[in-house]
Amino acid sequence: MPEIKLKHVVSCSTEDSTHKADNLLSSDTYRKWKAARPGEKQTSVILQFEKEEQVHSIDIGNEGSAFIEVLVGNSSAVKDQDYEVLLVTSSFMSPTESRNGTNTNRVRFFGPNQLQKSTSQEKWDRVKIVCTQPYSKNIAYGLTFVKFHSPPDKNDPPTSSPKLTKLGQFRVKDESPSSGPSLQPGSLFFSRDSATKPSTSLKVREVNLYGAKTVTPPAKRKFEFSKERQSASGPPPAKKMSPAGSPETKATTPKYKQSPVGTPTSSAQKSSEKKKKESQPKPEPKPKPKPKTKSKSEQQVPFNRILEGVVFVLSGFQNPFRGELREKALEMGAKYRTDWTPDSTHLICAFANTPKYSQVKSAGGIIVRKEWVMDCHKRKEKISYKRYLMDGAESSSESEMEVDDQSEEEEIETKMWPTMYSSCQRVESRQKKAAAEESSVKEEDPYGGSTDENTDAEAEEDHPIPELPDFLNGKHFFLYGKFPNNERRLLLRYIVAFNGVIEEYMSDKVQFVVTSEGWHESFEDALMENCNLNFVKPAWIYAINERQKMLPYQPYTVVP
Amino acid sequence: MSKRKAPQESLNEGITDFLVELANYEKNVNRAIHKYNAYRKAASTIAKYPHKIKNGEEAKKLDGVGAKIAEKIDEFLQTGKLRKLEKIRNDDTSSSINFLTRVTGIGPAAARKFFEEGVKTLDDLKKVEHKLNHHQKIGLKYFEEFEKRIPRAEMEKMETLILEELKKIDPEYIGTICGSYRRGAASSGDIDILLTHPNYTSQTEKQPKLLHGVVDHLESIGFVTDTLSKGDTKFMGVCQLQENDDDGEEHLHRRIDIRLIPKDQYYCGVLYFTGSDIFNKNMRTHALEKGFTLNEYTIRPIGVTGIAGEPLMVDSERDIFEYIQYRYREPKDRSE
Repeated sequence: MPEIKLKHVVSCSTEDSTHKADNLLSSDTYRKWKAARPGEKQTSVILQFEKEEQVHSIDIGNEGSAFIEVLVGNSSAVKDQDYEVLLVTSSFMSPTESRNGTNTNRVRFFGPNQLQKSTSQEKWDRVKIVCTQPYSKNIAYGLTFVKFHSPPDKNDPPTSSPKLTKLGQFRVKDESPSSGPSLQPGSLFFSRDSATKPSTSLKVREVNLYGAKTVTPPAKRKFEFSKERQSASGPPPAKKMSPAGSPETKATTPKYKQSPVGTPTSSAQKSSEKKKKESQPKPEPKPKPKPKTKSKSEQQVPFNRILEGVVFVLSGFQNPFRGELREKALEMGAKYRTDWTPDSTHLICAFANTPKYSQVKSAGGIIVRKEWVMDCHKRKEKISYKRYLMDGAESSSESEMEVDDQSEEEEIETKMWPTMYSSCQRVESRQKKAAAEESSVKEEDPYGGSTDENTDAEAEEDHPIPELPDFLNGKHFFLYGKFPNNERRLLLRYIVAFNGVIEEYMSDKVQFVVTSEGWHESFEDALMENCNLNFVKPAWIYAINERQKMLPYQPYTVVP
Repeated sequence: MSKRKAPQESLNEGITDFLVELANYEKNVNRAIHKYNAYRKAASTIAKYPHKIKNGEEAKKLDGVGAKIAEKIDEFLQTGKLRKLEKIRNDDTSSSINFLTRVTGIGPAAARKFFEEGVKTLDDLKKVEHKLNHHQKIGLKYFEEFEKRIPRAEMEKMETLILEELKKIDPEYIGTICGSYRRGAASSGDIDILLTHPNYTSQTEKQPKLLHGVVDHLESIGFVTDTLSKGDTKFMGVCQLQENDDDGEEHLHRRIDIRLIPKDQYYCGVLYFTGSDIFNKNMRTHALEKGFTLNEYTIRPIGVTGIAGEPLMVDSERDIFEYIQYRYREPKDRSE
């Protein structure tokens, strides 16, 4: 496990004149970093790696902080929200210790099991360490040292072995060489490339959980020293780099990793969500999938056996609808579980990114939308779940492998369209679908009224059309008040593009009210009616589009 | 939690009573839990308000009272009643559903189902007993007894008995009777025991034996009389004190819940199950303001991007208050 070399300190909140942040770059543990003044609410330091690395484990020596959190990012990161959590906020001192000033130098080691899975499997070149000490106003606090280790070499025997099976659920798909560097239609919307290489991080060092991981300083110090001597053979990390140096200038262009085409280094840096998505398509032969040839006889299944063999779990639905949905599935012979169990077959999900969604996804379960149950129930026949799969990314491969001969073409969900229509059209179609649901006025012509939008549709026919991201899946929006400069239309397009739902009226379903007019008195009443409401600025939606990922809405809330 | 909350006593009893009634209506009949919460919150702030409320305008200044509730208060103060409530009371549907949910094992959903099948009263229920599940059958069997509140004196007897028996099985058991009893209430709706053992933490395997051992023992001495459900970590059942009470009468059957909780999560559990629910909500809000997320299992610090951190070590309820820098409140002061 080679230690990752630190290049320089990018910035820090404050630093003591003797205990400077630069001290963290050297491997001498007696030189620490402390805040300039005691009692600061929060202190943080941003460090630059020499090159992009995957972080496998972290050792932290505390200097008076109660909590420490480690985030990772790239040189383009500016705000807190640009960083992603690698090590969740972890405790180093209890409130009592903080007040008494005891055990200020605890050392903790965090192995791969304690790091956030998604972020520890990617490469990053920056870390941000955030320390807090809310319990004592008299300590100037910081860190004594911090060390990052990259994954062990492939040739190295894994330090401890058979624990691996648990992680084996990450199946990796390495076909589909990416189709070339040419800019593709809507490539901004596209999650950028394909071939994944098996990540070395699957080698796991056994790490003792809780209890054993907090170590009292004296004993561990020794250990640290011996380790440092080994690593000291490498070139010493460059000290004294002006924090205002070049990296900041790069910050203007957000770094989208655009189709790197097969160069091994870049292929590994792809977001792990993507990786998961790729490993997921075709939910591997789960207990249930039925041979297509049988589709005729399947339709004659008695009502109470339509979903026989299905063991389902619900996520994201609220009562009373939740109850109805469960009832319907049970009536058709399915079995219900409150939580995902080894015998469960389907997760019926209201929107992506619920905790159960991620759990089931990594367990390789089938995730479908509620319409599957509703439609089966309504039509009293067994319908393949495949066209109701939750995850948009699956659909393209899905549509090839599944040629179901039930003739209701109109039922084909928008999810499947990307292969046939341009992304622009897809936006339109989603908008239209939403509109059709609202007004129940069916629009027959799929191109109706939208031709002017697809200015370059013809030219693109040959390219596979990228997926629209589902950042806002399952979220219901209401646009309130006036928006300057046609902004309303733009917002509608973005929200629909990201699979959000626009509500025409202020109903119970609405979760987000977007407004550019600031706080309005009536919001209070609305909150009384529906305490789940959030009032947000349009900037949130734009930011999601800019950064191409879901962002927390909190920084964009409208407050009285 | 018991099926029925003890009635509130305050200057504004009339108002709080109708708010609670509306709350229950929203929960049981409409299954609108947020409306339920809104009414409960309003009722709670009004109950604490030290003056007699004269009009809706005055009430509106209070936290949790908005235009709609203020309107209702005005109507109530001016006419002495509330049309909406009259309507609800006269409405066969809601009164029947409200009634059915008083049977343990029948929640809002089952109540609605029974109602739609024409089952509206206790007698109707007895007629369709074959349709009831085990839990509901017991609920029906002891319906009258479960409706009666448990006097504090009896709760104390049961507490002594249970804690003594726990010690006999294994002195390392830790047990706490939570709920309104722990907050010093004069009477309780049911008895709610939290149980833990140093050998059982969230890092170890589940240890159903720790729970079942206790249940079996309490059964063997005749204290536990029926089982509603028994899982790995939670037992729901019926209990009865054996010796006669002061008047020489037999004790009633009481609802009892026993939860086995990992030691490291025990005090978050004790805090949660001691309540009151409104106190819990306020405490969680305070925790959030201080950058922590608190639930019945753990307290965790929240990071700069809003991601919750690792569960913090908790060895007493006081630890939790300390983490979030909240003035410690004895259980008896948590009734708001």
